[in-house]
Amino acid sequence: MVSQERKREILDAIRDAVVRFEEDQCAAWCKTALQEGLDAYEAAMKGLAAGMDRVGELYTRQEYFVPELLLCSDALYAGLDVLRPHIQTGKALTKGKLLLGVVEGDIHDIGKNLVKTMFEAAGWEVFDLGRDVKLDRFVEEQKKTKADVVGLSALMTTSMMAIEKVIGMLKAADPEVKVIVGGAPLNPEIAAKFGADRYAEDAVSAVQEAANLIRK
Amino acid sequence: MARFRQDRLTEKERFEALLHREPVDRVPFYLWEFSFASVTVGYPRATTFKDPVRSFEAFRRTHEMYDGWHYIYYSPGAIGVREFGGEAKLPTGEYAQAATPVKHIVQSEEDAWNLALPDVKTAGAIPLVMEFAKLQERHGFPITFSSGSILKVVQALTGAETMCRWMMKKPDVLHRLCRLVADFHIAVAQHVIQSFDRPERIIPLTAAPTESNQMISPKHFREFSLPYQKEVYERILAMGVKHINTHICGEQNLNLPYWAEIPMGEPGIISIGHEVDLETASKYFHDHIIVGNVEPAVIQTGTPEEVYELSRICIEKGKKHPGGFALAPGCELPPAAPPYNVWMMRKAINDFGWYE
Repeated sequence: MVSQERKREILDAIRDAVVRFEEDQCAAWCKTALQEGLDAYEAAMKGLAAGMDRVGELYTRQEYFVPELLLCSDALYAGLDVLRPHIQTGKALTKGKLLLGVVEGDIHDIGKNLVKTMFEAAGWEVFDLGRDVKLDRFVEEQKKTKADVVGLSALMTTSMMAIEKVIGMLKAADPEVKVIVGGAPLNPEIAAKFGADRYAEDAVSAVQEAANLIRK
Repeated sequence: MARFRQDRLTEKERFEALLHREPVDRVPFYLWEFSFASVTVGYPRATTFKDPVRSFEAFRRTHEMYDGWHYIYYSPGAIGVREFGGEAKLPTGEYAQAATPVKHIVQSEEDAWNLALPDVKTAGAIPLVMEFAKLQERHGFPITFSSGSILKVVQALTGAETMCRWMMKKPDVLHRLCRLVADFHIAVAQHVIQSFDRPERIIPLTAAPTESNQMISPKHFREFSLPYQKEVYERILAMGVKHINTHICGEQNLNLPYWAEIPMGEPGIISIGHEVDLETASKYFHDHIIVGNVEPAVIQTGTPEEVYELSRICIEKGKKHPGGFALAPGCELPPAAPPYNVWMMRKAINDFGWYE
């Protein structure tokens, strides 16, 4: 049985490898965690997810930007690839389900991809529909996945108008559906006008906003 | 119908007075429209990009309708993509606005090292730019072409994620592409300037969305954009161009000290997004003409009263700027903007924009 001190050392090393975007180091420390008998789920949450929490803080403070976030995300997934096969069923990814996509007419998906990473790091199951997603498809996939939250994004003022339409379609199919929106041209007032339940300024705040939404 | 006060200057006279740092009668209206012009006259949005003749006609009529200032800029869309051998998709459908790369032509480091400077006289959509430039010359408008940005074109070649990863992990590869893109902009500038006499009639435009701090840090701006964009501008100014129009797109507050290092002409024209306060911009670009910055999403989705109020605030701040000011959207005028909201911007100029 690994000592508490060693366990803390390994979890901190995993966390720090994510923050320092050390992909190989992250994978190596995750292997060490398994070899020394740490629970894979605990290593994911207290190592990888804790690292992404710290990354989120650095992004909010404008110390990290998109390039840094992408490399942290690479390190996170390198570690997750090691740990995931060892996470016991029923333990993993149970915080919520997110259906996610960039709306029709828009191919800008870098923000959406970061949202996906932040939600996965926080323990959500994410159904990523990709970019330039036809509006009907959001409704069809929501029926199948019964996601707790639907996340919609757009980067252009014109494609932003598709968000209003798809929210109407989603709410018509299920008035209880919760929708969170984001993207450069949106703001809280426009999100509210479009009928969204929440607006998120960035990938970091999106996780918190979604968590608040399903806690209500 | 509301009656506007009689202008003392024509749009052309007002624009030229600003460039010569002379007093003007009122704030001009920089429409900053692309597809909005096509939609206004009943053409499909894609006409803006693919048909210079109809595009020019659409711009002129739209300017006539709203008293747009004496500067129109044509872009065939997705600058650099077709010129370097890629394919671009023009916007179709209700929700599409911009031309986009079908596939990023730089997929690997090897692609980046092997990519060659095209012959800009024939490459991609440059002939369309030249066709539009001839129309600008014939009708007495400033001649325009794209003079940037560096990272916007690099991103179009590589995709945003690859570009960001190479910033961190393969800076030498990214510098290679930045160098190539800078050489491309310089070659386009040489081609346009050599094709028309009197280079002072030419006012190129740079739009720089990829440089925003919503995307990259000021450190990366300083490393990958600043030196190349500065070199492009220095070369263009050395060719006899007097003014360069630069759209500092999105949230770029942290980059402003670096943009201010770049020579943009005497004066340059700086347009800013709604994310940058006009008073802040005025401090950094004291002697340049500043253009901005009504939030485009509000022009599109807000009430006429909201647009009018935002325009009033911009005008009252902008009028204090010593280098001259034009009211404009903070970025491209959305093609689906209600025409009445656009007219409210013009009305706000009439109500608050007079200097005399």
